[in-house]
Amino acid sequence: MNGGSAAPNRTDPGDGGLSVSRRGALAAAAGLTVSTSGCIRQVRDILMPDNIHQLSLTITTLPTDSDRESIRLSRELADVFEAVGIDVSFDIRSPVDFRRTVLYDHEFDICIVEHPGGTDPDFLYEALHSVYTDESGWQNPFGYTNLTVDDSLETQRQLEGEKRREAVTDVLEAVAIEQPFVPICIPDQHRAVRTDRFDWDERALATPQGYLDLDPTPDVSTLRVTHTDSRPTTNLNPLAVDYRGQGPFVDLLYDSLATETADGEIEPWFARSWEWDAGTIDVRLRTDCPFHDGEPMTAEDVAFTYRFLADMHPDDAETSAPAPRYRGLVEAVDSVDVVHRDRLELRIDAGRPVGERALLVPILPAHIWRERASDANGPGGATIAQGTTEAVVTDNIEPIGSGPFQFVSRTEGDGLTLERFDGHFTLRSGVALPAPSVDELTVSIDPPGSAVQRVIDDTADVTASPLETNVVGSVDQSGSTRVLESPSWSFYCLGFNARDAPFSNPRFRRVIAQLIDKEWLVDEVFRGYARPIATPVTEEWVPESLEWNGTDPETPFLGTDGEVDEDAVEAAFESAGFRYDEQGRLRVRQ
Amino acid sequence: MLAEVLTQVALVIGILLPVSVLVFIGRERLVRTRAEWRDRLRTNAPVIAVLLVVLLINRVARQTAPKLSREIGIHLTATFYNVEGEFILLFKSVETPELTAYFASVYVFGYTFLLIFPVIAYFMLSDTRIFRRLLTAYALNYAIGLVLYILIIAYGPRNVMPAELTERMLYDTNPQYQYLTREVNTNTNVFPSLHTSLSATVAAFASMTRSAYPKWFPIAVVLGASVALSTMYLGIHWGIDVAAGLVLAATCVVLSDKLVDRWSLSDLFGDRLERLSDRLPWLHREE
Repeated sequence: MNGGSAAPNRTDPGDGGLSVSRRGALAAAAGLTVSTSGCIRQVRDILMPDNIHQLSLTITTLPTDSDRESIRLSRELADVFEAVGIDVSFDIRSPVDFRRTVLYDHEFDICIVEHPGGTDPDFLYEALHSVYTDESGWQNPFGYTNLTVDDSLETQRQLEGEKRREAVTDVLEAVAIEQPFVPICIPDQHRAVRTDRFDWDERALATPQGYLDLDPTPDVSTLRVTHTDSRPTTNLNPLAVDYRGQGPFVDLLYDSLATETADGEIEPWFARSWEWDAGTIDVRLRTDCPFHDGEPMTAEDVAFTYRFLADMHPDDAETSAPAPRYRGLVEAVDSVDVVHRDRLELRIDAGRPVGERALLVPILPAHIWRERASDANGPGGATIAQGTTEAVVTDNIEPIGSGPFQFVSRTEGDGLTLERFDGHFTLRSGVALPAPSVDELTVSIDPPGSAVQRVIDDTADVTASPLETNVVGSVDQSGSTRVLESPSWSFYCLGFNARDAPFSNPRFRRVIAQLIDKEWLVDEVFRGYARPIATPVTEEWVPESLEWNGTDPETPFLGTDGEVDEDAVEAAFESAGFRYDEQGRLRVRQ
Repeated sequence: MLAEVLTQVALVIGILLPVSVLVFIGRERLVRTRAEWRDRLRTNAPVIAVLLVVLLINRVARQTAPKLSREIGIHLTATFYNVEGEFILLFKSVETPELTAYFASVYVFGYTFLLIFPVIAYFMLSDTRIFRRLLTAYALNYAIGLVLYILIIAYGPRNVMPAELTERMLYDTNPQYQYLTREVNTNTNVFPSLHTSLSATVAAFASMTRSAYPKWFPIAVVLGASVALSTMYLGIHWGIDVAAGLVLAATCVVLSDKLVDRWSLSDLFGDRLERLSDRLPWLHREE
């Protein structure tokens, strides 16, 4: 015992000296390897005025554990790029790190990622409008700037009906020509469920509502969800872009004025009803609805939310700090007026279809979020361009929302427990909305390979994360396990960082787009559980000119069956103004 | 699932250990240990404490290290991939379901056994130095490994080449084991391979003690080599990680020789310690 306390002191000098020297050696070694791979380019540019070299690009993507399809796409594309004389390396990042690198810091050449997309094509306004190039988030991470495209993005926001469809077609056709990102495919969303305990609505499972109104068999009171993404156990902040994936959990904790169905319909939720009148939405709220901490949720909280999302620094008149999520939705709201406790007016700068989408943002309790306006400082976090407030970096555990479920507990990396919020308005008689139908919702974080087995073993009821395409076809459906398919609108894409040459050049981007055999990749990587696309919107919005017809109508693949025609590519790059050297390397000014 | 896997591991180790104690250690040493264990424990207490402290730090660091690593770590996945390319795909030519099953059980059960058995075996030796060296080497492996894990962020081959590895990726064929490994480590900690370094450490000690345990030596070498190969065969580690693991093992074995007995407790605390141990009579009961 006496020796035990003395011993660490004794070994410490030797131990400490060791790790210091190793660290030094390591830092030196790492510095060497890093500089040979990337930074040397800048040094070389200073030393040698001739800065035309072989094009060397880095593909930023996610590891197998987080997204098997992304890394597979990246490697298939890297093979093609290498074949046509481009030097390729990878930057593989965890989901949190990937978002910070690509969406916050814009430190990438090209990225392969599943873009959240949207049921309505207006998501492209946020994704591509040039005013967002400097911001952090899903708003224009590509740094794409085109005033004509800006114009048509703005025009479609103001219109409705057939006129809007035409304007959207203008946007989609312009985007297809410019290829600010290359849409590859929309993956099918499959989930394994147990049918002996709950009644599932296949379409609704694409949205948080799929976890409500489940009609459990009499003795069932717990919904056991398995999820492969552990981020919700670390952070439940609706404004944290780096932690928000496709999981439904944050949306079950927070209410919004309206809710969106899998078909893209906007329906009343916390708003009892609203009237649209020439750019004004007159909203009537449900009465006597509390937050999870018992505080009442009123029109003041709703007004606070819209103002806070538009500017997280309300006290600082000079700089505005818009929240990094819900940017495009909130942009449509000009002002919010509280008429009284249960009624408010939103003045909207958009046509009805886009304007009503502003009702979809989560309502934040003013008494909690008002304090989160200050700048967060200290190491260990992300920095966002608009202003790194406490609201952006807080892990928001324990979250206080007003949604159908409330937070109970979590174990970081392992799981999350929510319970039904008995004060929720959907549980009132006379309210015909999907309501929480179980006492408890448990989320267990499982490796992708085990999620389906949990359902088959009857230790989970549903896989909240869509199944990986390599397991969809082999799920044993002999017992009470079924595989359901829900509508999907998120899409895999190759995103360019158009801030830098040569990715800033649409001619270059178009040739790259033609190196991607989308049809073949869907078979090879997705085993057919996806559909190739030429434009990143849901089927009802695809214009005839951009319909998939066995090949990409705008940027057809230069080759066949995944095999690229190297001569054709060389010719395409050369006619786009680029050159090859005698060793078949593509040379560019970077 | 974690409980199931842990039960399996406990069961396998629970069978393997007593059998190997009988086979490799023999009755004579057991009897002598029964007479001397208090003495040996007293001599060994400091090093046991050091190892426990290091393991505890490792455990705590599992929560905080990833955040620190994100701040100061260097991303080297691409560098490793550029350097060795598809080297580990060499195993493709020998891939069979039986070999996959062998390497999977070696990776989980064989490795656990390989770490635990020498601790028992060397405690049975009258000369306690080898036991103290082994534990010191373990502690060094974990301590240096932790520092490298924080400084270097790298994903293993399975996270880069899923398509080529799919038939033998441990977590595709035996997903339940991921519950165990995620308790111990995160998926960005591949450099160096601690499986390799600890197995090689054990094999090195087995070689040093082959006159005391002649039968253990070949077993430790075969099992240790299997563990190192399994990490590559199963797509968990790069060849570079395994090479670094071997270097780390060599470093730790050499350092353990230099560190153990360098400071003796009585030199540092002298009389005070003796007086203290006089007051703890249970330590001397056998004498």
